[in-house]
Amino acid sequence: MERREEEQQKRDDSRFNQTLKNVQGFLKGRSIPGKVLLTRRPDPTPEPISPTYHRSLSENDAGRNERSDNPVEVEDNNSSKKQDNTYAGKLRSNSSSGEQLAKQVQNLKIGGRSSDHARVMKFNKVLSETTVILEKLRELAWSGVPHYMRPDVWRLLLGYAPPNSDRREAVLRRKRLEYLESVGQFYDLPDSERSDDEINMLRQIAVDCPRTVPDVSFFQQAQVQKSLERILYTWAIRHPASGYVQGINDLVTPFLVIFLSEYLEGDVDSWSMSDLSAAKVSDVEADCYWCLTKLLDGMQDHYTFAQPGIQRLVFKLKELVRRIDEPVARHMEEQGLEFLQFAFRWYNCLLIREIPFSLINRLWDTYLAEGDALPDFLVYIYASFLLTWSDELKKLDFQEMVMFLQHLPTQTWTDQELEMVLSRAYMWHSMFNNSPNHLAS
Amino acid sequence: MATYTADDDYDFLYKVVLIGDSGVGKSNLLSRFTRNEFSLESKSTIGVEFATRTIHVDDKIVKAQIWDTAGQERYRAITSAYYRGAVGALLVYDVTRHVTFENVERWLKELRDHTDANIVIMLVGNKADLRHLRAVSTEDATVFAEREKTFFMETSALEALNVEDAFTQLLSQIYRVASKKALDVGDDDRSGVPKGQSVNVGSKGDVSEVKKIGCCSS
Repeated sequence: MERREEEQQKRDDSRFNQTLKNVQGFLKGRSIPGKVLLTRRPDPTPEPISPTYHRSLSENDAGRNERSDNPVEVEDNNSSKKQDNTYAGKLRSNSSSGEQLAKQVQNLKIGGRSSDHARVMKFNKVLSETTVILEKLRELAWSGVPHYMRPDVWRLLLGYAPPNSDRREAVLRRKRLEYLESVGQFYDLPDSERSDDEINMLRQIAVDCPRTVPDVSFFQQAQVQKSLERILYTWAIRHPASGYVQGINDLVTPFLVIFLSEYLEGDVDSWSMSDLSAAKVSDVEADCYWCLTKLLDGMQDHYTFAQPGIQRLVFKLKELVRRIDEPVARHMEEQGLEFLQFAFRWYNCLLIREIPFSLINRLWDTYLAEGDALPDFLVYIYASFLLTWSDELKKLDFQEMVMFLQHLPTQTWTDQELEMVLSRAYMWHSMFNNSPNHLAS
Repeated sequence: MATYTADDDYDFLYKVVLIGDSGVGKSNLLSRFTRNEFSLESKSTIGVEFATRTIHVDDKIVKAQIWDTAGQERYRAITSAYYRGAVGALLVYDVTRHVTFENVERWLKELRDHTDANIVIMLVGNKADLRHLRAVSTEDATVFAEREKTFFMETSALEALNVEDAFTQLLSQIYRVASKKALDVGDDDRSGVPKGQSVNVGSKGDVSEVKKIGCCSS
């Protein structure tokens, strides 16, 4: 038994070393200012730094790394620094070399973004298979899905649309009908046929719908709010273990925007729900309903009494931050700041409240690509998100920190900052998840 | 009486909680009091939020650390943890929605279960600007407040009506109770921890404390 653990440990060690080597190899010889053309490496070692779905550093990843066969231009303004070869050094320097690395990953990705023709071709290829291979789709989607493909890709990733294209239409038709029937059965009722609890829940939902993403004017349309109300109430009735919990309203909004984009053109704020037939509205609602259902199936205890799932992830976040950035963790602790005081909302609303709404779709590409592994990966994303402000946080006292974290300065963020957060999360997951013991002090 | 002063120069720090049903206007009362802002586009509060403001009471500087809580019942397991160490509470209902007034009783129980018995409570009927929609009469609320021995005021965060007064009265009362406790202490072993005294030191967010001037060193 012990021996097996030891072997596992060794394997983890060697993986970790491999990661470090790759990280360093990645940074080495990058002192040439200006543009650098990176192309596929002759070296057969895996490239764990690529933000593709497989973060496990398995040896198989190398050949499937979709980025490596596309030469991309990199703007390199980092001078190569001698990398400390120890773990401790690596960890201490994570805010310098780690960030440089993430920046490089970031730069790589800009060249090969979702608008890239080759990338679209890859999506087309995967999607056109008679049976879509979800692993391939996840790998591609992790780094961003071309906008017009999102409805199809998201439905597939969530397991709502079946991978088999022959069955797809029929299954969706049946599911949409089922939703319509549920609405008739549960929502379209007079209050006299509802229990007190149901009346309370509907009232709570009705209070929250007008307060959903209020800064995007589209969501102020009465019809949009009615759609939200139907989706949420139907979901809540059919999920009595949690029922409706404030914040779940936010989680419907990315789905609503994406599925409406199949029918409405142009900017979200120029859309009008009244341009759609009742049948189309119902189909869109059904897709939202089922996708919400699938998404939350993997997080059932996030919304049950006392929300133990969220509490667990908040605890894990605290632990991870302590391992990655001890000084900031210590400062927060000394100031008496509890992670629950800010990270609760992050998990409860999956960061929708914290970044501009226009960036949420990109974030959700990665969420949905993670699939069942999402809750654990959220810990890495949120650690990466928090430590974006590591330097700032260390200068703040308790009250300043709480208020800073409640209103993070992300208003001017673009995809670039978000990609940075995701890349770093990916990198830390590669480094930390496979060798937890190294980082325990 | 109340004026804005520099934030970290204060004599007393009081922890206050804002509670009440969802959508009654707690977050807007807080932003009106602490930043003189009102938002028609506010979002629901998830978990807890926090803001501070410093005011003068008599010749003392009092800093209020105000915790705004989510209104939905599901969150009470989370939010009630923040009641610890609170010396004051604004219990808010919406004068246009009677059900939010009916639930005040449950909120009171919630408070009394989780806080010190001496907590100062101000019942607040918000949205008083919506006169044509009023569903809770001032008389009913007054009677209720007298029976439950809480303070009472009607406010409008939108029109900035009585918001300043509600918070200031609450904080002044906390100050008075704390001062009186400070004098009483020693005569009465059962009086517990005086208002304004540190209750526990688990977290700075949990306690109300006396700074600079110890009113009753034990």
